[in-house]
Amino acid sequence: MNGSFIKRITRNKAFSLAIIMFAVWIIFFLLNHNYFVGENFTGIMNTSSLSGTIAIGLACLMMSGSIDLSAGAEGCFGGVLVALFLRTGMNWILALLLTILCGVVMGLINAFWVNAMKLMPFISTIAMSSIYQAMAVIVTKSSEIAIGEGPFTRLGTGHIGIFPLPFIIMVILMVIYGLMLNYTKFGRRLILCGGNRTAARLAGINHQKITTIMFANCGAISALAGAILAARMNNGGPRAVLGAEMDAMTAAIIGGVSFLGGGTSGMGTIFVALLLVNSFNNGLQVIKVNSFWQFVTRGGLLILALIVDYFRESRRQKALKQGAKV
Amino acid sequence: MTEVNTSVNTDRNAGGKGMALEVDNISKSFPGVKALQNVSFRAEPGKVLALLGENGAGKSTLLKVLSGDIKPDEGEVRIGGVPQKFDAPVQAIQAGISVIYQERQLVPSMSVLENIYCGDLPATKAGFLKKKEMRQTAERIIQEFGLEIDPFEKLGRLSTAHQQMVEIMKAYRRDSQIIAFDEPTASLTDKEVTILFDLIQRLKEQGKIILYVSHRLAEIFQITDEIVVLKDGRMVKQLKTAETNEAELIKAMVGRDIGDTYSSLKRNDKMGDVLLEVNNLTTDAVHDVSFKLRRGEIVGFAGLVGAGRTEVVRAIFGADPIISGEVILDGEKVNFKHPKDAIDAGIALCPEDRKEQGLIRFRSVQDNVCLPVFKKMRKGLILDRKKQEALTEKAVEKYSIRTPTFEKLVVELSGGNQQKVILGRWTSELLTTKLLILDEPTKGIDVGTKAEIYQILCDLAREGKGVIFISSELPEVINIADTIIVMHNGHITGTLAREDATEEKVMSLAMLD
Repeated sequence: MNGSFIKRITRNKAFSLAIIMFAVWIIFFLLNHNYFVGENFTGIMNTSSLSGTIAIGLACLMMSGSIDLSAGAEGCFGGVLVALFLRTGMNWILALLLTILCGVVMGLINAFWVNAMKLMPFISTIAMSSIYQAMAVIVTKSSEIAIGEGPFTRLGTGHIGIFPLPFIIMVILMVIYGLMLNYTKFGRRLILCGGNRTAARLAGINHQKITTIMFANCGAISALAGAILAARMNNGGPRAVLGAEMDAMTAAIIGGVSFLGGGTSGMGTIFVALLLVNSFNNGLQVIKVNSFWQFVTRGGLLILALIVDYFRESRRQKALKQGAKV
Repeated sequence: MTEVNTSVNTDRNAGGKGMALEVDNISKSFPGVKALQNVSFRAEPGKVLALLGENGAGKSTLLKVLSGDIKPDEGEVRIGGVPQKFDAPVQAIQAGISVIYQERQLVPSMSVLENIYCGDLPATKAGFLKKKEMRQTAERIIQEFGLEIDPFEKLGRLSTAHQQMVEIMKAYRRDSQIIAFDEPTASLTDKEVTILFDLIQRLKEQGKIILYVSHRLAEIFQITDEIVVLKDGRMVKQLKTAETNEAELIKAMVGRDIGDTYSSLKRNDKMGDVLLEVNNLTTDAVHDVSFKLRRGEIVGFAGLVGAGRTEVVRAIFGADPIISGEVILDGEKVNFKHPKDAIDAGIALCPEDRKEQGLIRFRSVQDNVCLPVFKKMRKGLILDRKKQEALTEKAVEKYSIRTPTFEKLVVELSGGNQQKVILGRWTSELLTTKLLILDEPTKGIDVGTKAEIYQILCDLAREGKGVIFISSELPEVINIADTIIVMHNGHITGTLAREDATEEKVMSLAMLD
């Protein structure tokens, strides 16, 4: 075994992120004592459930070595679709399943450009983001579509104890996907693909198949996240979910997923990173920072995460090239 | 060498064990290069077969064919008489062939254990991993190798030698009947080399077929039973290790017909004064390198890939830092901090990686020729098109670059014409290039164009320029260069004049063990 217990704890990323999160909490509490009110924490849990759910699909995709910048737009379109389906008087479970299916289709379209047409995921998913977002505006004629109170809206507004239902759904999904990544053959193969594509190919792993599945999965989970947001808001709006993919990406990268493939992370670390990002965003609201400036700080946080990711990656490359000298 | 299991069992129903591997008439061409031509050999179970040849002899291509990574144009691979068709690497693995690559195919962020399995993890029907079985197998393999490695350690934290051993464990775990090693000892220390050779001996006793690619002759005599010599993509001969010697092998590797390409060259016969003097140059990769280059002289650098030839010229050119020693250009001591300083002082480098480092691929021929002299073509704030065209026209005429227009993208030209564009760029009248450094200028170029490039080099020498010519193709170095410097492992191991140089002499200097 290497290192003492303390060393292992401090090397644990989730632990160090938790420390930073406590620091963030304390700073904002000192700035405004309302920060620690229970209601505010419910708010943090609610907002983080949106970006957190999206982060699950996005992080898995990033670990396999690709990226989907249209995740937010997929979520937005998902929210609009579920509202439209419900307006036809459809059973809410069927409506939700259909929405997720539409998410799968959106993900498959992304995968098609990347795998079959060899487009760069960075660019092609930005293009698709614009298209999905516009579709949401077109089908709603740019207005919000109301959803009547019912079992579906309880999915967004219900509570178990102090925990909002969307938050619980997110945690359950994180546990499932965390198990998938760590304890299944598919999960390990997915990470191998992101870590060294050539090694994966030579070992007979079909990289395209794995990224196609992960794109479809990302689309499905994003659509689900959008639908749950619609349930919470009682409507499906063409401008909901905006920017959530950025928080999701920030959380994934802070949590250790690399932009450049190969970084891996437990869902637990992503969970802590997610709470950190949302606590930070929420804190800015509580101390009444102008909402435009909040976007500036969010962008800044993402840049910071990318810088850390870059240094991590160059260290990894060095380790691969040289190894520790004998 | 003791011969184990000499009886050949060709029973097709023997379930993998005891079957011979036959490579029959394999050919493979890449654009401009015939990598393999009608290669045939037979490897028997319980024996180690060496694949020996110079750089570019086709060893790696052959391994890629065996691993299913590339498909041969012709011929077939048979195991126990049954023809095999590989559309993807996975099929070769299923057929019982494992290749251990020289470039490690590992994931540094994953554990040693997972790298040993490389995605082929034992799992239940539902897809869940059998962690206990994984750990036990990995621990057993590490123990059988006699190493002390924690299977849960991240691979990136291991030494290079241990990482290489993990790469070997990967193939060992599959328990393949045929295992191919590509230069396995390149990054190992003596301790691991001993472990590796013991392992190969054990695999041999189990009746497996071992293919061993190396250009370290001492190793080949130590562990192999038979040797297949490759040269220019053709098989020269297959011999028994016990019945041959170093001299015969080197002769088989290099002996070939030298056409009259070289005798018809118009060479330079007037040498000038000393242009470049390098004294005791030492960098990260090379040690104590000294040589002199006169005006009008072509100095050739020979040696195996990784011998440090490229690193010497990179240091002179200011691309790598110099630790000690001096470089004297035209009587003046220089120490370039940046390639730009070297270019200003009259040195030009045509790098080995023509496509990535030498050219701007998606720009026109004209842009590529004029690249270093744009500054001198300004007319007010804009570039003078006429001047650019005039310069390009001269280069195209001088080197007969075959391009329909100056606007053609260089990426669409053939390799030889691309190389001529680079030469045209550095020899234009607007630059005062005194010293040209060419790193593998004829790589991937067809025979006819090669001859043209040779004449261009001689012409440059006749103009009084100094030329440094790095090549891994022995015949061209010893026939083009006036002085041949041989490098091995970062050191100069010999300096020969053209009249004295033979392929055998250069090869034995380059392969010093």
